[in-house]
Amino acid sequence: MRPTLLLLLSVGLGSSVLAQTPSETNGKVVFDKWCAPCHGAVAPKNVMFGNGALAGTSALAVKYKGKLPAVLEQRTDLTSAQIKSVVRHGLYGMPITRKTEVSDAELDDVVAYLMRNRKK
Amino acid sequence: MVLPPNVSEADFNAALGEFRSAVGANWVFSSDEDVALYRDSYSINWGEPDERVASAAVASAKVEEVQQIVRVANRYRIPLYPISTGRNLTYGGSAPNMRGSVVVDLKRMNRILDVDEKRAFALVEPGVSYFDLYNHIRERNLKLMLDVPDPGWGSPMGNSLDHGAGYTMAAFRDHFSSHCGMEVVTPDGEVIRTGMGAVPNSDSWQDFYYGAGPSVDGLFAQSNFGIVTKMGFWLMPMPEAILSGTVTVPRHQDLDPLVYEVSYLEDLGLTGMPQYGSPVGRSAFGPGAAAMASLMQNGWPSAAAVENFVAAQKLPAWSVQLYFYGPEETVRGTWQAAKRRIGKAIAGATFQDGEFLTLPIPKEKEPTQSDKPRLGIPALEVFNMVARNAGNTTNPPDGHADLFVTIPRKAAALWESAHVLFEAYKELGLPAQQNPFPTPFTYYSRCFWTGTTVPTWRDPEKNARSRALFEKVMNRCAEHGWVGYRTSPAFQDLLISKYSFNNNSLLRFQEKLKDSIDPNGIISPGRYGIWPASMRKNRA
Repeated sequence: MRPTLLLLLSVGLGSSVLAQTPSETNGKVVFDKWCAPCHGAVAPKNVMFGNGALAGTSALAVKYKGKLPAVLEQRTDLTSAQIKSVVRHGLYGMPITRKTEVSDAELDDVVAYLMRNRKK
Repeated sequence: MVLPPNVSEADFNAALGEFRSAVGANWVFSSDEDVALYRDSYSINWGEPDERVASAAVASAKVEEVQQIVRVANRYRIPLYPISTGRNLTYGGSAPNMRGSVVVDLKRMNRILDVDEKRAFALVEPGVSYFDLYNHIRERNLKLMLDVPDPGWGSPMGNSLDHGAGYTMAAFRDHFSSHCGMEVVTPDGEVIRTGMGAVPNSDSWQDFYYGAGPSVDGLFAQSNFGIVTKMGFWLMPMPEAILSGTVTVPRHQDLDPLVYEVSYLEDLGLTGMPQYGSPVGRSAFGPGAAAMASLMQNGWPSAAAVENFVAAQKLPAWSVQLYFYGPEETVRGTWQAAKRRIGKAIAGATFQDGEFLTLPIPKEKEPTQSDKPRLGIPALEVFNMVARNAGNTTNPPDGHADLFVTIPRKAAALWESAHVLFEAYKELGLPAQQNPFPTPFTYYSRCFWTGTTVPTWRDPEKNARSRALFEKVMNRCAEHGWVGYRTSPAFQDLLISKYSFNNNSLLRFQEKLKDSIDPNGIISPGRYGIWPASMRKNRA
């Protein structure tokens, strides 16, 4: 009985208590799926268009000119409002992301992951 | 708050209540904040009264819920607009064709129902993305290869239903023609299965396309006759190796025999999608810029002037990169045969061996692998082209609208179309980007696509200029019989008006079907010019 009970509890918790506690670990999973193809750190050795970096990382490198890291996972200044605004509203060629793609809870996890190194 | 046309607020709210009963309250999105997530990020009408915004969205998880949604919509005359992954950016994204429609978001229907390695097919639901299917295949070490579009963030189902295409062999890169079997919820809420899917107990739904009798699958692509809830796709067996090689030819006129020789290889199924280029044309973006400006300063140059220009630049006029898929013996042998044939046909042709890869590519090498779509690996690296980049550091667009028109697969048509585009830009007083070195898109093996891309913005004034350019180019091209294969909702009526043979008899036939199959006009009104009778304005 005990394993069953634990399973039921964990299922219940998953939709209530756990959903209110953002998970950096799951944030990394969500980031890798939804963000890394443009904002990752590892780039192909060359691509037809551009300079060999992923599109989001490349664009931020051009924008910040070294003043801030181009790789989002290396940033220490991102805020929750910033991240949520860009994900939900898009920015330049980056489109809106719907809740059926990344839920509010998953977005909280991404925020926790990207803010894990934020300077206090 | 936006309401569907001709629907009262009371009826709309009643319909939303029934949608909630069908799918659960959490999966009906009706607040302004949530509905805004269904705007087309690349809309060319952003923030204007005719931006195609939704009134609500309802996200179903299974086919029975889609049936219920359709029945509710019939009761209240609610226009629906289904999306699969909603990533059809440039062609509408997750926004509806008609303002006020309720988006049916099928992203939650994300099951990969079957992948058969030996019979080389997959059966998927709408919300399965290319990334999902690719990961499923890789995690199981299945010896199968996807043909993916670029960018690869969409779905096999959505991409094929909008006639999208990829990069490998012709048999697979036309994504609609490589599908086999579909399940559809029709506007009356029935479920139908096409081909062998209509045979109880058949195990050949993804093996044989036709079944018997009229094949109706095409009615559900770029249209509004139902909501597709499952689709099968033939997949490419994973080749043992991929070899690429690049051909160059010296003279401008050499493109004509080069196209013939490359087409010969393609039509025999010996090469994947050819990638044409022009070393002389590419040089115009760098050291050859001044010379090209000089060539074009007095308008479109003569053939002799173009040939003299090429000779002076000391660069090949044209290149083509070929990709061979198969066992090592055959890919190397085919490349040898290509060298022999092209070398014999075109004096001065050169050949450079490209990358030789054995498959599968080790997982750890994938992230740094170039040309991923050529290898069936979904990627988003193509966005380097439109994102802020070294060539555009301060003013990246918010999106783009693409106009690709179909022209015959021959050099003369390609050159003529570039000239027409050049003149269209000049008529609008815009700097013409075209020159005598256009390179065709070869997604469909039997034709060329050419055209232009215009930027879209979250700025009405800039968008007005982009729309004017888009319509000018579309109209000019149509005068020559060159018409697009796909476009964003903002231009679908204009596009379909070009398919006007015999007083628009094709569209009138489609409208008869619409009136019969969907008398209440609830599925995607206006999709590719097909409007329900009650909304059919300005047509004879």
